[in-house]
Amino acid sequence: MEEKKKILVLCGGKFAFQSLQLLAYEKNLCGVGIGKGSEMIIDALERESEDNGIAFKSFPNKKSISEMREWIDTVQPDYIFSISFPFLIPSEVLNYGQEKFINFHPGPLPQYRGVMPIFEVLKNQETETAISAHFMNSKFDEGNIIFNDPITIDDGETYGKLAIKLSNRMAQVALNVVNMVQFGSKIPNFPQDESKAYYYEKPQLMDTYINWKRMDSDEIISLINACNPWNSGADTTFMGEQAKIIVATIFDKPHNNTPTGTVTEIINESKIAVACSDNKQIAIEILSTEEGIMTIKQLNQQKNLIGQIFN
Amino acid sequence: MQTIGILLPRSTYYQSIGFDLYEGLRSGIKQTGREDIKIVTENIGFGADKQQCYRSTERLLLEENASIIIAYIGHRTAELLKPLFLATNKILIVLDAGANMPTEWPTCPNIFYHSLHNTLGAWLTAKKAINDGYTNGGMVTGYYDAGYLHTYSISKSFENAGGKICFNHATGYKESDFTMKPLKEHLKKHSNSALLSLFSGDFVQWYFNEIKEEFYEKNIPIYLTPFSFEETMLENAVYPSNAISGIASWSKKIETNQNRLFIESIEATGKTPNLFSLLGWESAIITLKVLDSAAENKNKIAQIATELHSFEFEGPRGKISFDAKTNNSISPLYEASIIENKGMCEVKIGPEIKNIKKEFEEMCQLPLENNISAWYNSYTCI
Repeated sequence: MEEKKKILVLCGGKFAFQSLQLLAYEKNLCGVGIGKGSEMIIDALERESEDNGIAFKSFPNKKSISEMREWIDTVQPDYIFSISFPFLIPSEVLNYGQEKFINFHPGPLPQYRGVMPIFEVLKNQETETAISAHFMNSKFDEGNIIFNDPITIDDGETYGKLAIKLSNRMAQVALNVVNMVQFGSKIPNFPQDESKAYYYEKPQLMDTYINWKRMDSDEIISLINACNPWNSGADTTFMGEQAKIIVATIFDKPHNNTPTGTVTEIINESKIAVACSDNKQIAIEILSTEEGIMTIKQLNQQKNLIGQIFN
Repeated sequence: MQTIGILLPRSTYYQSIGFDLYEGLRSGIKQTGREDIKIVTENIGFGADKQQCYRSTERLLLEENASIIIAYIGHRTAELLKPLFLATNKILIVLDAGANMPTEWPTCPNIFYHSLHNTLGAWLTAKKAINDGYTNGGMVTGYYDAGYLHTYSISKSFENAGGKICFNHATGYKESDFTMKPLKEHLKKHSNSALLSLFSGDFVQWYFNEIKEEFYEKNIPIYLTPFSFEETMLENAVYPSNAISGIASWSKKIETNQNRLFIESIEATGKTPNLFSLLGWESAIITLKVLDSAAENKNKIAQIATELHSFEFEGPRGKISFDAKTNNSISPLYEASIIENKGMCEVKIGPEIKNIKKEFEEMCQLPLENNISAWYNSYTCI
């Protein structure tokens, strides 16, 4: 039996926990590096690493990356896996070894480069996403692809649900790549097709804002799901104040040319129907307003909602 | 010339398993008249050695440039090999004993499962026991067979249909440890219980020996799953009781032109047709479909997968189609019973199970509740 390959994982926090657990269980994990991360998560990881004889280092900011190469030289891993590590790894670190750095990107490549592919695939109403394993180079998400492991997106899936699904799946994908580097004589890979490549910047307010005039009901629901929970919902204006829609579904009833964004009816005292540009409606259940997170039932007791406008 | 790679296992109780799978595939391709196909084989032992399985597959894909790989392996090994198929943009046809749950692993467009459906047979045999009037049951299996999720299927199906599992008996896997004596005590406490039995290979012979010895002329009700109806093993099993029935995947006695063609083709090579040559034979049809589809669709895996989802063909056991959710083939299953032939066992094939797709989908909705199989090897390969 060959010796187990030693894997050092660079991560950004909780999203990588399942992978860390599985690689530790399989006795492949030799080091954990965390970029940014909350105090609580850093402490928990450091403690777990210490208890299990695994090297640990925190990289709180870009400047601290200058200490990475020395640390890796000390740990001497066979491969370095990156799972949502927030900083770009510079060439002097990548020079540790050719085809030694593998990134696990939670979206299909090359179509969904960028920091939040989970948001982008949901917003774009994709029915399938992927975890892409690729060799790293000195640019974000651009190295040769090893494979895209496809994952179905279920109807109504929110950012939070999909992130958990991907995190669970990521563990198995990471283990699959460990098996590849352990047993394979070479790792098949191919360059990314630049004609299909797109880099999505971190979403700004304009990306999370509902444009009631232009977006149809499906697009609005997809955006709401894509913003739940990380943005506390999709941004909108309601009754002249900033608000976020957290939970809503398609309400299959035409509104017969009611102006878009208008509340047309209360459904079972718990939802409001709102007219959309495609003569369909959405049924909103939970909103975040300046007064706090509220169900429609609570809001309906305070205000007369019929005829009010989202814009 | 296109190359088909096949990973062949070995088994101590189905000693010809690799040859049977290979001969089924070779004869299946031959009968289509295709002469532009080369078959390359690799031995994967019991299918439990990850390194051996991975390297054999890698060799077929990268050195032999196989267009497609066929392998008699389980879901776990398929998962191990998945990255290779994703990375090389090739299709893997898993010849699956169907001893685990089809939902145990996520699907992938590069991997299709062509199954003998032991777990679905277990699901149906438990329902059959209920329909026959038994509301008490005991699961009877062995250390080896118990390691696969057909156990979960048989017991959940029995319970969901209104039955109660009153006892479980899992015996040892060596002949010296193999015993049915504890059943006496169980049946004393829970009389009129159906024995929901999961055995394969020579365990079936040992089981029947023990039943005959411990319960001679008692005719206790025994329900079997497809692997227990494997006819080459049954020929050498003593006939133990008049009340043995269950669900079979295939039999030489299925009266169709396709089955006759299969049987005659295999017998013409001097071999006896069995479940494994059947799998090989049917895999030839699926493989040729994939190769044609790959040529038409310029190797675009998503399109090949979509075409397979709507592909149907008539095989020796009847019409076979695919379930798009799990990438599993769905094939007919048959009611069956054991009859006597000179003191030994013979299969009597009954009617085809109705609404098999609905039954399959119903079984797939069974929540796994963290139940997983820990066995890595291909089923029956020990």
